[in-house]
Order: sequence, then structure tokens, then C-alpha cells
Amino acid sequence: MRGETGEDPEMKEENDRLSQVKRFSGAAFCVECGRCVAVCPMAEMYGNFSIEMSPRGIIRKALTEGAEILRDENLWYCTECNAGTDVCPQGVSCRDLVRGLREMVLEEGKAETTASCRHCGKPFAALPVERFVFRRLEKEPVNVLAFLEYCPSCRRALYSRRNA
Amino acid sequence: MNGGSEKAADLRKSAEQGGKPYPFLELGDLRPALKPRERFSERFMPPRNGMLVFDPSRCTGCGTCEMVCGMRNVSRVAPASASVRVLRNGAEGRNFAVHCQHCRKPLCLEACPTRAISRGEDGIVRIDRVFCTGCGLCTMACPEAAPLRDPATQTIRKCDLCDGDPLCARHCPEGALTYTRGKAFRWIKGLRWTVQALSFLLLVVILIGTFCFFRAGVVSLSCPTGTLQNIASSKTVILSTVLSALALVVLTLLAGRLFCGWICPFGFVLDLVGKVVPAKVKPPRWLANRLNKYGVLAGAVGGSFALGYQAFCTVCPIGTLCRSYGVQGFFRGAELAVVPALAALEVTERRSWCRYLCPVGALLALVASAGLIKIVIGAKKCKKFSCIQCAEVCPMGIIDGDLLREGVSPKVPMKECISCFRCVDRCPYGAAKIRFRWQKGIPGEGRP
Repeated sequence: MRGETGEDPEMKEENDRLSQVKRFSGAAFCVECGRCVAVCPMAEMYGNFSIEMSPRGIIRKALTEGAEILRDENLWYCTECNAGTDVCPQGVSCRDLVRGLREMVLEEGKAETTASCRHCGKPFAALPVERFVFRRLEKEPVNVLAFLEYCPSCRRALYSRRNA
Repeated sequence: MNGGSEKAADLRKSAEQGGKPYPFLELGDLRPALKPRERFSERFMPPRNGMLVFDPSRCTGCGTCEMVCGMRNVSRVAPASASVRVLRNGAEGRNFAVHCQHCRKPLCLEACPTRAISRGEDGIVRIDRVFCTGCGLCTMACPEAAPLRDPATQTIRKCDLCDGDPLCARHCPEGALTYTRGKAFRWIKGLRWTVQALSFLLLVVILIGTFCFFRAGVVSLSCPTGTLQNIASSKTVILSTVLSALALVVLTLLAGRLFCGWICPFGFVLDLVGKVVPAKVKPPRWLANRLNKYGVLAGAVGGSFALGYQAFCTVCPIGTLCRSYGVQGFFRGAELAVVPALAALEVTERRSWCRYLCPVGALLALVASAGLIKIVIGAKKCKKFSCIQCAEVCPMGIIDGDLLREGVSPKVPMKECISCFRCVDRCPYGAAKIRFRWQKGIPGEGRP
């Protein structure tokens, strides 16, 4: 495990996927300034937004507790937007970190936290994110929201087949 | 763009004179800018918002729209950065351009967590770049997933109609993507209100008691339901009365329940009340049954038979309105009280009296079910989620908007349709049409 300070430049754990993800996203350079938390749209989306859920909390947990983060449900609230990366003074891409971690979880097959497309079967969104969209579109008739079960590309194909 | 064309013309000239070969095509070269045609009605009505209309039968899948759109978005030829995506189906030869429809009630606007999406006065749904974080929830919430993610920059690209002059429509070589002001008529509305007001004046103010029974020389007209009650109560059939009731029956056979939508004075009152009163209360279940009116009709005829006088006519809101004006009319207060009482039903649904209770409408409905015309709505021409105006404006609530959203052409029961043609008037895509009963085709789907 690399230290928090990121002073270990040697690629000892080259094969270790976790450290690779952390290295590519630049998570080790995080200075915990909290700018990513300030711009994070999750604060607007979820009532239970907390430090554990915020990008800063995810980065900290990934750095300090290692593989523990993969079993954390807070990993699945992120919308994978680019807001935190845009403002980060250290160039940490919290989106890449979250994406990499999620990919690891999905490859291990512990994915009860994603919504899969009804047509192609691929996971296309995290469940909390989809639930948020559902909640926002509550006012629409339920039978109309059937399209939410399809991934965007399948949805496009479906829509074109209906219209062409 | 004119400047660009001139520059291109100069270059072409120099190339012809043996100079440098003509290097590139300017955007303005492909097709001159098209201005939406000004309609006559726009001189006295506010101009309508422009809309991008796509005709799949014309699309060849060339991708020019993607190219010019990407060029506008990122200033280089990058179809992947475009906010329009052409789905090509080589096997069936059908192509489709997915683009933002600029919904009237955008779902993306609802879902955006940072409220970066707004719908402007001009009907264009835009993303504010300052607030957009690129999270992609708009794509999640859009029924056709029209906001596209740029693979290079990972930002969301969504059509903003080029602020009223879309490049894709300008450069589409086949005219599959066109920018128009829509195909809505918008003049039927004015005509209907005029006819309604005139017939209200004629039936209520000028000719007292006209609708129920009216005779001028040999021409006589009468209410068919009243005639039925007359026959039931007097137990005699007078041929001239039956013939005079037939006029309305023939009109209904020809044009549906045109009487209810265009002529009925009480319907006019209900439409006026409906302009003011919002329809919010859910009607009780015993009321909200369209078969009720047939029960009222049967009750009216049976009651007349038993009582010996025209039972329903004494409380008929249409009749009381007609009889209300004049010296002896306006002060028959007790009789007139039924009009505001039934007009108050408008708080439940539009035209709830006509939907559920009116026996005159019930008789005409029976006739109209064998009528000459029908209204068809083609789901393939309709742009689904973005509009559903027809279901919204339908006063009888017979257009199934949910079915339309699912892409199925709804069947409009002419029995319930009052031939107001609001749907035909409003549909911006030309999907709602008046057709003869025997015509099979549905707009956008061709003939079966």
C-alpha cells in the first residue's frame, strides 16, 4: 500500500489494480482543500450528503483504507460529472477514481448497485443516481417512464425505430 | 456567412484562372440560408417558435448534419462532438437523426441537479455552460437520450437550434431536417370562437327558444332529444316534427358532433367558464362515466312517457339558456339556476357536462358513431414527449396522451368527439388530421 503522502515512487504494486487506479486519477496528490465538495452536485441531489459520500471522503478512504472502499455504498452516489476535476488545484480526477473503483467492483461481480439496461443488459448508471432521476420525474405518469430502464444508446435506437 | 461565400467565390475564380486549387467548401456554399416562411396569420398573432422537423423517409444517412454541428460546437470537423446523431440502418435503409426536440416540458430540465438547463422565451432549451458539470443526468432523463456526451471533452452537447438558424437544417442536402414554424393551423380556433359567439347570439338573444323548436314558413328545426320526448309524452308521431329534428342528425352524420363543439350555446358558456376556472378537482367515480349520458337520455324519454310532458326539457341547460333572454325569460330564475350549477362542473374536467351527462349529446353521439368523418393522429409524425398538445387541449379528454408517448397511434372515438378540431388546429407536426371514415391511412405511417 502506498502511503498517503504519495512519496513512494516505486512501482512495487504494478499489478495491483487499486493502486493503478489511484495513480492514474492522481488521488495521492489530494490536499483535501475541499473545492470538489463545494461544487459537487451530489449536495443538491441527496439529502444525506456527507463527508463519506463527497469526493474528498471517497479519495481519503481510497487512500487510507484501501480495498475497503470497494464495499462502501457511498461509492455509488457519484454522477461521474467533471465538476470536481475542473476545480482541483492538484489535478486529481475524482471522476476517474470513482470510475476505476466502480469498474473493479463490477468486474468482481458484486454489482447490485447499478441499473442495467433492459435491452442490452449493460450497467449504465448507479442505482442511487437513477433513483434520483426517478424522484425528479415523479410527476410524470409511471408507464411513460419505461424508457428509464434502457441505456441511452438503446433508448436512441428504440426511439428511432418507433419514429422511422 | 455571406462574407464566407464571397471569399469562396473569389477562391473559385482564382482556381479557374489557374491559381491555387480551390481548397475547401465554405459552410455557406452548400445551401443558402433558409428563413422560415412568414405566414399571413403571423401579422396579427405572435410569431410561433421555430422547430426542427425530421423526415426519416428523406434521410440518406450522409451525416452532413453531424459534421456542421460538430464544426459549430468545436470548430473542427468532429461528428462525434455534434449535438445531433445519425443512426444508420444499412440493412433496412432507414436512417434516423436523433436531435433535441426542445420539449414544452423538458424532462432534462427537471432532472438537472445544478439547474443548468433552462427553457427560454423563444422555446429553446439551453444548457448554461457555467453551471453544467457534465454529469449526464439530462441524458438519463431524456426519452430519446438527445443530450450527447462529447467523447473528447466529456462534456454534454445539446442542440440549441443555433439560436434560431440551425446549421443542420441549412446544410441537409436532402431536406430531411427542416426548420419550420410548424404545421399548426391556428386559425380554426378563431373561426370556432366566432361561430360559437354568433350562434349564441342567434339562438339566445335574437331568436328566442330557437334551438328547442323553430319555425319559419315551411322550414322548421327542432332538438332531436326534445322531439323524442315529445313523441314519448304525447304518444303521437308528427312527421313534420321528426323531419325538423332530422336536420341536426344529418349535420352530425356529416361532420360529427359539430353541434356540441361549434353551435351549442351552453357549450359556449362552458368553454368561457373553462377559460377562467382551472380544472383541478377529481370528479367522483359515479359521475365520471361516459355511459351516464345514455342513462340520462333513457330517463328523459321514459320520464316523458310516464309524466305526459317533456320532462328533461324543463331543466335542460341548453333550453333554459335559449329561453332565458327576453321579457318573460330572464326572470324565470328557478329554471335558469341549472345553468350555473352545471357550469360549476367545469372545476372537475373540461366539458364534464358534455362528457358524462348531456342527453342531447348522447343522442348525437349515437348518430356520430356512424358518421362520415374521423380524426386520426399518427404517432409516427408526432414527436411524442416533446408536445402532447392534442391531449392537453382536447376538451373531451379522448386523446390518450400516454399511448401517444409510447409511440402508438391512439384511436379517437368519434362518439365522444365534439368536432371542435382543437387537436387538428394545434398539432405542429401535422399528425392530427380529419379523414373520411373509410380512409385507412394514418399520417406518417402510409396506407396499410
